[in-house]
Amino acid sequence: MIQTVYTDVLVIGAGLAGERAALECADAGLSTVCLSIVPARRSHSSAAQGGMQAALGNCAMGEGDGPDVHFADTVKGSDWGCDQEVARLFVDTAPIEMRRLAFWGVPWNRVVPGTSSYFKGGQKFEKIEKPEKEGLITARAFGGTAKWRTCYVSDGTGHSVLFTMDNRCAELGVEVHDKTEAIALIHDGQTCFGAVARCLKTGELRVYLAKATMIATGGFGRIYPNTTNAVICDGSGHIPAINTGVVPMGNMEAVQFHPTGIVPTDILVTEGCRGDGGTLLDVNQERFMHIYEPEKAELASRDVVSRWMTHHIRQGKGVKSPYGDHLWLDIRHLGEKHITGKLREVYEICTSFLGINPIHQLIPVRPTQHYSMGGVRTNKDGAAYGLKGLFSAGEAACWDMHGFNRLGGNSLAETVVAGGIVGRKMAEYALGAEVTFKSTVIDGEARAQEERIKALISGANGSQNVYKVRAAMQETLNKGANIFRNGPDLEACVESLQEVLERARKVGLKSSGLGASPELAAALKIEGQVKMALMVAYGALKRTESRGSHNREDFPARNDRDWLVRTLATWKNPADTLPTLTYEAATQIFEIPPGDRGYGKSEVISAESKKE
Amino acid sequence: MGRLLQFNIFRYNPQDQESTPHTDTFVLEETDSMTLFIALNRIREEQDSSLQFDFCCRAGICGSCGMVINGRPGLACHTKTKDLPTDITLLPLPVFRLVGDLSVDTGSWFREMYNKVESWIHTKKTFDSAALEERMDNAVAEDIYELDRCVECGCCVAACGTARMRENFLGAVALNRIARFLIDPRDERTEQQYYDIIGNDNGIFGCMGLLACEDVCPKHLPLQNQLGFLRRKMGITALKSIFKK
Amino acid sequence: MGIETTVFAGRPTKWDGLLDWLQMLSGASLILFMWAHMLLVASIIIGPGVMNAIAGFFEATGLAQVGGPLVFLLFLGHFLLAARKVPFRFDRQKTIWEHATMLRHQDTWLWLVQVVTAMIILLMGSIHMWVVLTDLPITAAKSAARIQGGFWLAFFLVLLPMVELHVGIGFYRIGVKWGVIRDRERGKFKRAENILTLTFICIGLLALARFWFLAVH
Ligand SMILES: Cc1cc2nc3c(=O)[nH]c(=O)nc-3n(C[C@H](O)[C@H](O)[C@H](O)COP(=O)(O)OP(=O)(O)OC[C@H]3O[C@@H](n4cnc5c(N)ncnc54)[C@H](O)[C@@H]3O)c2cc1C
Ligand code: HEM
Ligand code: HEM
Ligand code: SF4
Ligand code: F3S
Ligand code: FES
Repeated sequence: MIQTVYTDVLVIGAGLAGERAALECADAGLSTVCLSIVPARRSHSSAAQGGMQAALGNCAMGEGDGPDVHFADTVKGSDWGCDQEVARLFVDTAPIEMRRLAFWGVPWNRVVPGTSSYFKGGQKFEKIEKPEKEGLITARAFGGTAKWRTCYVSDGTGHSVLFTMDNRCAELGVEVHDKTEAIALIHDGQTCFGAVARCLKTGELRVYLAKATMIATGGFGRIYPNTTNAVICDGSGHIPAINTGVVPMGNMEAVQFHPTGIVPTDILVTEGCRGDGGTLLDVNQERFMHIYEPEKAELASRDVVSRWMTHHIRQGKGVKSPYGDHLWLDIRHLGEKHITGKLREVYEICTSFLGINPIHQLIPVRPTQHYSMGGVRTNKDGAAYGLKGLFSAGEAACWDMHGFNRLGGNSLAETVVAGGIVGRKMAEYALGAEVTFKSTVIDGEARAQEERIKALISGANGSQNVYKVRAAMQETLNKGANIFRNGPDLEACVESLQEVLERARKVGLKSSGLGASPELAAALKIEGQVKMALMVAYGALKRTESRGSHNREDFPARNDRDWLVRTLATWKNPADTLPTLTYEAATQIFEIPPGDRGYGKSEVISAESKKE
Repeated sequence: MGRLLQFNIFRYNPQDQESTPHTDTFVLEETDSMTLFIALNRIREEQDSSLQFDFCCRAGICGSCGMVINGRPGLACHTKTKDLPTDITLLPLPVFRLVGDLSVDTGSWFREMYNKVESWIHTKKTFDSAALEERMDNAVAEDIYELDRCVECGCCVAACGTARMRENFLGAVALNRIARFLIDPRDERTEQQYYDIIGNDNGIFGCMGLLACEDVCPKHLPLQNQLGFLRRKMGITALKSIFKK
Repeated sequence: MGIETTVFAGRPTKWDGLLDWLQMLSGASLILFMWAHMLLVASIIIGPGVMNAIAGFFEATGLAQVGGPLVFLLFLGHFLLAARKVPFRFDRQKTIWEHATMLRHQDTWLWLVQVVTAMIILLMGSIHMWVVLTDLPITAAKSAARIQGGFWLAFFLVLLPMVELHVGIGFYRIGVKWGVIRDRERGKFKRAENILTLTFICIGLLALARFWFLAVH
């Protein structure tokens, strides 16, 4: 008999978004359980170092800031792909959430009055912090923002905030079942009743029944071979939603790449390296960015730099390594003092992961998948399309305040803001919901999962090696749906992915699959991952324009006339080999009509222009 | 050609009735900048797909990958094979319950720890969403963060002889956690309340100053200083409460 | 491995705090005593007259008669306090041994040295004290006679390094446990402690040699 856990609210994911939402439900007196693959504090939110944006306007360089300025930055950043109503909700709530976090125990860095210096473009400037602001939450500079707005805790913002959040969960008695992976949702096509999960300590299946269920499982970068994401950010939380056949994923083609992930482990080194004057070199140890971008060179926007780096590698100018081609990041000329001071984190990453001393040596880097703007499509209350009682928040969701490009510092802030807002809506729903659990549906789903596991262990479907299939998927997606994209490559990519999908359906285990079996865990999600990869590639193929991170070489213009829309991808029938795509307007309300972003040069086909 | 590395890895799957604790040996050719993260994944993908181990961030941030590497508890993801001899012995962290092979259940241990030390801010105030945040000195915030940096990898507990001999001993990580709240002005707990939690032989007075915690902590937390600070603080609290009577 | 985890804190007792103080203070007092003791015994190096004079002083003021048993009590008290930390159960001994051999960590080994020396000191120290205190007064001649018998020489050659190691490590440990020695100063203190231990052993050996060659009439 499968163990069954009843709870008012089930939150799949115990990162910042999941735990923040769980706290709202616990506050409302609901019993709340979070599931997580790893102990809550190991969730990938802990890896965010930079900080989170909120327009508090306490520091000198943030003077005059306010939600409106933050709003404009966010909409421009999204390349007008975001839902402006949601973005407004976000910017208005962010300051309150930062203060709430301070109240709960986050040791935010605070304003220190007096004169201090800072660097910009390699030059030294001075600023004066006001005495009346002493001790209030301070902020630092981040890309794409008009003001210094990013609240931070030294270089461990995500870590500190997540620890505080989990402390609060312990205080309120929110249960976290860690080493527990959700593998399917329980639903009848109308309403979601909870999930089937697999215990990663014993391998046993468990059924969780809940009035409201939330997906807060973070990003899915691991469907790419090279990503700054944690190894658990593999989409395993999206897959149960996709497999319902009725819940659409929004804007899956919107994938952010960061120029400087290190090789081989793809760990992120900050943009600050280039901001402070670092340069990119090729195999001949020559600079190249100034050839492509005479004006901004290395300091062009993330998507632009990533694009040219990839181009350069394709020209055969990459450095060969056992881990694939890469380029060099050179910060040697910044000097020891600067590197071990302002870039201490970079220094530590290089020394402890590469055995490289960046004061004297070059850092191997390449553009690396970093963030998933797309995800489970929800309305502004965080309710997923397609199923009642299903919610989503955080990076897993497409709520959608990021559109086609999210700003640094906005996603960590989104997790707590959306977690709070959606959590409250979810609590309201759970308090009002009359849910009758249908035992046939529950038993049916549980049995289906048991059968699936048996088939994988016995090799009833075939004997494809899950790791090889996964590598094939990653390589294919990487080739076709990377930083820049074009029709023929995407078509080839979709076609190959369909072949990979066939193979994924024929996976069988090599090991016994007993206990926590990592191979079984990988095998259970491989088909779903390929489906996600297809959503990315197929969505990108169909979107014949360039917007934010989605760059089509064959359609370089942003097309507001035809493509001011959000892609919705649904996997209607399990046996399908392609997702079904539909579209909806990007936003119902325009506070700021589409216009110039103010950076990056690109053509725009305006909404008013007539069709040829 | 790189060195040939020989990995001696502890194997045991408690869920498999036929499995008994033993050591398996794998040989792998070393590549540039190889870390134990890369090596273990290659072994799993190429040689033995049942091998269990835990990685998450693989960037030395999340604390998932604590294991005993040639005798010393440490984070596998930021251990370079270059710094190790060709013979590499890997064991799961002791003290924590074994899940299988190199994977242990730190989650349950830490959750119990949070409840024991009440790892949260204790305050009678309520949050006012309309008010400005309470002010705090930046230096105080930085001091708190210094102790908040712990990633709960469990290395300090696994390396502590006291923790291994007495399973009720709280360990450096929990004591450090108390120190973090003790210096936080937002936490209204009194010294006597802290004493009730750690003022005993399972707490600060159980620590024998072995200092392996300090020496293995991958995040270099100032554990030695904090343990000393707590012993003095709690020692004085003990004297006070005795003389009060 | 495979231990079910349990973290039991919250056994609120102010006694544990007091006992920790007493353990430290008893250890510290014993250190002071051992230094004083060393002055007495090492005075033989200068000459039997000096030693006799010091011993005579103790004898005349009654310090030997009263102080001796008091030291013995302190010795026992310290043993009882420290015994709370000593692994007497076999499984714990096995655990800590496996742990120390696995970890190869100096401070952990130092603690083991402290425990093992403590056991030896307990036994030998008691015998020694019994012999000396039941044969008062102390004179250079009596001591020299004992040592030249051979047995006591061997006895002290074992006890001396045991005591000095235990004292040296104990001194260092009080420093780190109570936070007197900060993390950065640890190496420095450890070195200083080693030098001190070695010096005391040397002085002790010199004294023993002096006893050995002292002409007993
Ligand atoms: C290296 C790096 C640096 C970053 N820096 C910044 C920054 O400075 N500022 C910023 O704003 N953003 C930053 N980001 C982005 C930001 O950190 C993330 O978008 C955000 O933390 C996501 O939070 P989350 O709560 O949605 O998901 P996560 O924190 O990823 O949590 C996901 C949770 O879901 C669980 N889970 C996943 N799948 C399942 C399943 N199938 N069953 C059960 N549980 C499951 C996981 O165990 C985990 O608990 C960074 C991202 C990276 C990769
Ligand atoms: C002349 C005799 C002795 C001297 C000078 C001496 C001194 C010390 C000192 C200074 C300490 C450190 C105290 C602390 O850490 O709080 C110590 C610890 C210890 N002593 Fe002794 N001691 C003596 C005899 C003994 C004896 C006979 C035993 C008997 C078993 C013993 C057992 C221990 C133990 C186990 C510790 C370690 C306690 C801990 O780590 O918490 N000692 N001793
Ligand atoms: C009150 C108690 C004590 C008295 C009066 C005393 C007295 C003496 C005397 C007279 C000697 C000279 C040798 C001899 O006559 O046998 C001696 C030597 C010695 N004693 Fe004690 N002792 C006392 C307690 C201790 C204790 C507690 C220890 C350690 C545990 C100790 C360790 C030694 C050692 C190691 C020597 C050899 C000296 C050397 O090598 O210099 N003594 N003691
Ligand atoms: S104190 Fe250090 S060793 Fe201990 S759990 Fe925290 S980070 Fe790990
Ligand atoms: S190793 Fe253990 S005994 Fe104390 S100093 Fe560290 S907690
Ligand atoms: S995997 Fe996160 S610390 Fe090693």
